[in-house]
Parts: sequence; C-alpha cells; structure tokens
Amino acid sequence: MSTRGNTPRYGFLIDASLCIDCRSCMVACSVENNVPMDVTRIWIKETGITGTFPNLKRFTAPYHCMHCIDPSCVSACTVGALTRSEEGIVKYDKDACIGCRYCMYACPFEVPNYEWNQRFPQVIKCDMCFARLGEGQQPACAATCPTGAIQFGKYEDMLAEAHRRINEHPDKYVPHVYGEQENGGTATLYISPVPFEELGFPDAGTTSPAFSNRLVTEGTPLVAGAMLVGLTGAYLTIKHQKEEAEKERAEQTTGEE
Amino acid sequence: MRSKLFNELRTLPKFIYVLAAIALFGLSVGAYRMYAGLGATTNLSKAFPWGIWISFDLSTVALAAGAFTLATLVYVFQFEDLHSAMRPTLLAGLLGEGSVLVILLFDLGRWDHFYNVFLRPNFSSALLIVSWCLAAYALILIYEVSPVLLEKSRWKWLLPAIKRFTVPIVIVGGTLSVMHQSSLGTLFVIMSPRLHPLWYSMLLPVFFLVSSLAAGISLVIAGATISYWLLGRSLKIKTIAKLGWFLPWILAFYLVLKFGELIIADETDLLFSSGMYSLLFWAEIVIGAVIPICLFAFKRVRNSRVASMLGALILIAGIILNRFDVTWFAIKPVAGQVYMPHWMEVAVMVGVAAGLVAVYSLVARYFPVYEETVTYQRPSPEKSLTAQPALPGKPAAEPGAVAGD
Repeated sequence: MSTRGNTPRYGFLIDASLCIDCRSCMVACSVENNVPMDVTRIWIKETGITGTFPNLKRFTAPYHCMHCIDPSCVSACTVGALTRSEEGIVKYDKDACIGCRYCMYACPFEVPNYEWNQRFPQVIKCDMCFARLGEGQQPACAATCPTGAIQFGKYEDMLAEAHRRINEHPDKYVPHVYGEQENGGTATLYISPVPFEELGFPDAGTTSPAFSNRLVTEGTPLVAGAMLVGLTGAYLTIKHQKEEAEKERAEQTTGEE
Repeated sequence: MRSKLFNELRTLPKFIYVLAAIALFGLSVGAYRMYAGLGATTNLSKAFPWGIWISFDLSTVALAAGAFTLATLVYVFQFEDLHSAMRPTLLAGLLGEGSVLVILLFDLGRWDHFYNVFLRPNFSSALLIVSWCLAAYALILIYEVSPVLLEKSRWKWLLPAIKRFTVPIVIVGGTLSVMHQSSLGTLFVIMSPRLHPLWYSMLLPVFFLVSSLAAGISLVIAGATISYWLLGRSLKIKTIAKLGWFLPWILAFYLVLKFGELIIADETDLLFSSGMYSLLFWAEIVIGAVIPICLFAFKRVRNSRVASMLGALILIAGIILNRFDVTWFAIKPVAGQVYMPHWMEVAVMVGVAAGLVAVYSLVARYFPVYEETVTYQRPSPEKSLTAQPALPGKPAAEPGAVAGD
C-alpha cells in the first residue's frame, strides 16, 4: 500500500517561456497518432492577454499527460486499460477499455479526454510516443517543437536542467518545477515565467489521491471478511438464545404439569 | 391462446400502458445514443465525464438498500415480525439494481466491451468493486425473489431446496451489499481535487453505507403506505412503526460521523462560507437527517401511516439530494464549465425509471408479492393476514375501499 512506482526513466521538460503558441506540437501529435486536430493528446494552456496596453503579455505552454509516478487513472481504471510501464510511461489499451470514463474524473491534472463523437470511442491521452522511443526517436511533439520549449530525455537530466535554468535565471522563472512534487511526482516537468495557476494548471497536492484510494479499496476485502464472520456469528448467537428461551419455556410448562 | 392474451392486456390498468410508452420511448432514445455516440446525445464533457445517469444510479442503489437491510434484520437478527415486508422490498431491490445495470449499459462508452469487467479486473479500482458486487448481488436478489415467481408454477418443488439456503445466501448478500453501498462512496475518494471538501472525505464509503440504510428502510415505509392507497394492501402499522424506530438512531449516527469528520478535518468554516455549496450541504442535512430525526423520534409519528410516509419521503428526498450533490452539484467546475443534462439523457433516465415501476406493477399483479401483507378491504384487517392472492381479475385498486386500522 506504500507509494508505488519507481523513478521514471524518461521525462519531458516543458519551458513556458519558450513556447510561441505555434501549435506545431499539436499538428505533430495529430499526424503521429492519425487523429483529427480536435482530439490531439497535447494542447495549449494559456494565461490569456494580461497587462495594460501597450505592455500586453500572453504566455502559453503545451500541456499533456504528466505520466505520474503513482497515477490516479491507473488506480481508478476498472479494467486495467491504463497501466504504468517499467519506464514510467502511462499507457492506454483501447481493447480493454469499457468507456466508464472514471480516469477522466480521477486525474488531478484533467488530462484524459474522450472521443465524444465516435460510436466506439477511445480515451485520448499521451503515451510518450512509445513506438517512436523503441525506434530511437523522440516523441513527435518534442521532435517538432521549433523553439525547444518541449525537451525530452532521461528524467534525471530533465529535472537537473529545470533547476539549472531556474537557478541561472531567477528573474526569468518562478522558482517552481511543476511536476517535481505535484501528485507525488511526475515524468513531465514544467518551468514557467508566470505562476502556474495563471496558466490554468491545476493546483495538485503533493501526494497522489491514488494512495488514499488504495487504502480504502484494498481494505474492502478485509471489511467483507469481517462482515461475513460478524453476520454469521450474530445469526448463530441469536438463534441459540431463542432456542434456549424456547427450551426454558418448555421446561417450565412441563414443570407446572 | 392469442385472444386470451389480448383479453388479459385489455384488463391491465391504464397507467401501465402510460409507463410502458414512456419506457419504450426512453429505451429507443438509449438505442439511438448507442448508435450516435455520447457527443450527440449527452452533454457530457471532459470537465463532466459523468452526468445525471450516474446520479440516478447512486440514488437508486441507495433506495434499493432496503432489500438487504430488511433481509439481514429478518434472517440474521431474526426480527420475524418484519418478515411480511420482505417480498415487496426484495422485488423493488432487484428491479432497482436491474435498472442501474440497464442505465450503465447506456452510459458505458464501450458497452460492447463490458465483459472486460470480469476478464481484466483491476482490484484497486473502486468501480470494479462496485461492478462485481452489483453483479453478484443482483444474482442473490434473483435467488431471494425466486420463491415469489416459482410458488404458483410447476417448479414449485424447488422451493424447499431454495429455502434451505436462505440464511447463508442472506449473509453473503448482506456482505456484498455493504461492500456495494460503501464502494459507491469509495468512487469519490480518488476525486479529492474535484469534489468540494464539504462532501469529500476518506469516510465517504461509511457515509454512503449508513445513509443507504436509512434510505432503504424509508422506501419500505413509504412503499407500504403508497400500496395501501393504490392496491389496498399494506403492512401492519406495528411493522411500519418498528421500521421507523430504527431511523433516528441511524441518522443520528450519520450526523455524528458527518460533523465529526468536518471538525477533525478542520473544515467547519466551510459550513457557512461556501455560498451555494453551504446551502446545498445544509439542505441535504436538514431534509435528509434533521427533520426525519425530529419526526421519527415521536411514537405518534411512527404509529401513523401518513406521518410515517411523509417523514420517509422527506428523508428519501434528502438522501437523493446527497447523491446528486456528490455526483454533480458539488463537483467543482473546470474553467467555468458546468453540466446540465441533455434532454436525451433525461429521457433515457425517466424511461428506465418508468420501466421499473411498470415491471414492478406487472409482477405484483401476477405473482404473490403481497401475499403476507394485510388486505385493507375488509373491516377486520388483523384477521386477514393469511394468503390473499393478489392476482385474479382486477387488483383491489379502489383507493376508497380501504378501512383504517
């Protein structure tokens, strides 16, 4: 019941200060996964336009699955259609999925989407392009990003790079690597020049709700066992008492005769 | 043969035809939903992937809890005087759980993969526990209801064998129900980022279990009085009073748990500072617990059919509001997006509910469901406790023909 999952092998580092909102990552994702643009597994979060004219500002960041170390979706999935691999990739198996959409509610990052307009829909979520990784290539979004806002590599390297950038340019970034602590740690890491809530990132806690979930679900069989024993015990005890009372009454009546 | 069936259909009361029409329409809309996908037929979205169907499921399951509560009281704790309420309650429970299964089939995006629930289980999923317990408990309810269906058939020789295993079956059914009811609360334990803290708690499974006991008993009480008006058959007032006696205790325990949790979690300030959420919370607490406690604490209320029924209906409304809060109203919107059901979602839900009532009425018409209940058509109700088959001809549907007790 302890925190599950090893340190991820791969990681993303997404730098919001470099994103220019060109959406090449979304096009690359659409092509790679052969899906229309409205159901890509990566999309853009933004601050909206802030400041007063002429000092207007707008920040954007590509956003996709965080690949949590202890993913809520994997814990929630009824049928094990969502799994976390040895490398730390949270994968989706469309042939197992029953479409209950519990993963969408369970995810603290509001990541999984659904093919609402399909007769037999699938859950939409990033799988780190694991097929490309097998061929020694980068995920499509990272390979395509023209400004280097999406970097992909070994998790330790990405984490070190995130801290290096923040330490070297404390004026340029807020001192927060989003994903280092969030939900107990994730393979996708973000750094940003503005606070993450302004970009519309969810305020996730530092422990995964998957932990509380397992605490209860894995305790359920114990409760059931206790219930079985308790109810059987209650039945036998009450039956015994009733029989005793009956016997006593019978003895009294015979005694009176 | 055909004309006999035709004649039989002609004698059916009109409301069954109305219900059947609503059910047929709802099921057709459901079939269209399966053809057209969820996007065109529902207002479900990324922000609200679950909608009014889930709210309906959770409310119905809570109300169906009467079946296992009563069965456990009668067979395990041996309150034999409550036995007369068993059959209508078990039937209502079976049809309630059945209607949840039907709605779930419409709700599942990949309903054609539903068997993966059994083939590829993930045991850390609360929804898996819910599904398994629902499926297993539905089988147990069929077993428990089967004597009603077999009694007048040529398979009645099976009855002694069935009745032999009643107690172990009730014990297993009670255990499955406890898991089933509580796991519906567990569903939301993983949703801490989305569910408002006034409702969110690690104790949600316990809240759901305890409140379902009260809701289930209330449905038995309310049903007894409604069938008294509609069919002229009911439970003895002593039975109703005894059932009502349990309610204040259960609800007081529920209140202690709810407020105890809020105090320990240090969330009491939210009780008054959360605007709409505070209002919803107090509404469900007052309707679902405080008013029913005040009513059922009085012997005069417990001993009155009308007052008991009103109290039970108020309680049921409060528990249904609670289930709607947890599944819908108290889920925080994402980026200002809120959920309102599509008319087709409502049509499917109303259709399934209408079908439930229609099937119940038909079974009650042709099978000895109310056999042990009291007929209130003759002036001496206490003596007519024995078998009074509810089938031949028109059912005793004259509401005026009831004699008080």
